[in-house]
Amino acid sequence: MLIRPALFTAFALGIAASARAEDKIWTAVVLATNAASPKETPKELRASLPKLKRVFGYNQFEVIGSATDKIEDKSELKLMPTQSFWMQAKARRSTSKEARGGYLLSLQLFNEKRQLVDTEARLAPGSPLFIRGPEYGKGQIVFALMIE
Amino acid sequence: MKPFEEQFTAWVDGKLSGPELTAFEKQLAQHPEASADRAAAKTVGTLLRENSTAPKLENADFFNLQIQQRIAVDRPREQLREKASSGFWSWPRLFVAGAACLLVAGALFQMLIPTGASVNEEDQSPYFAQVVESWTSEPGVWANTVYNPKDNVTVLWLDGLDYIPASYQLK
Repeated sequence: MLIRPALFTAFALGIAASARAEDKIWTAVVLATNAASPKETPKELRASLPKLKRVFGYNQFEVIGSATDKIEDKSELKLMPTQSFWMQAKARRSTSKEARGGYLLSLQLFNEKRQLVDTEARLAPGSPLFIRGPEYGKGQIVFALMIE
Repeated sequence: MKPFEEQFTAWVDGKLSGPELTAFEKQLAQHPEASADRAAAKTVGTLLRENSTAPKLENADFFNLQIQQRIAVDRPREQLREKASSGFWSWPRLFVAGAACLLVAGALFQMLIPTGASVNEEDQSPYFAQVVESWTSEPGVWANTVYNPKDNVTVLWLDGLDYIPASYQLK
């Protein structure tokens, strides 16, 4: 009697797991500057633009480099949005309700061989995390991560 | 037909007559002690009527007055006893205490239990990026988390990093 529901549940879980395996992580190195006539903001940052302007105080955000990688539970990733700034991450599926099936990332940010920060962060899908990096020229380097 | 005891009582009291009396006296032929019992009962009745033990009230009005005064004296004591037994929780106090409890419960509910509106507000904001922990290995570099709930943005803010000149190739 219980075999059919068990098989169905296993099948449904299998489908769900295969669907979740398609998660991706988008990382970017963004240069924030002030410009008289700001360039168009990349689509990945468009939703966050007003917040970024308020938080960082710049009006132009250019993506210098970006990378999109497949992410899944217990995966280890090397994220290379640029050659000079890159990240290393261990991902675990977050069990918290707020993360809505997102990930708990154990993340290290590097500038070439130099480690800038080591952090653990929970990310829900579609909720970008920003890291304020070093000042660059007349602007500011900002790193962005987002589960897609 | 009446039972024998009933007829016997009526016969002792002299209330049987006619054919009923004749029939009963025929039955009494089987009870020779019945005449003696009847005589004894009549004697006891006469004695009780002539020598009543109840005292005769010579001044009935004075007696009634005394009874009424004693009732009046006992009544306040009973009222006091009733008050003492009801204690602090009289009906009005119970009502006020109940209303106060309801008010406190309502206030606690409003303060502590999230309402549907507030829950919906949270649900309308799907943004969730949380920095659990962060640390830096270089001296003079600090990592702080900036979360602005109004803007709904989380930033890991690194301070103390070296300035990078524009000549540095980012790619």
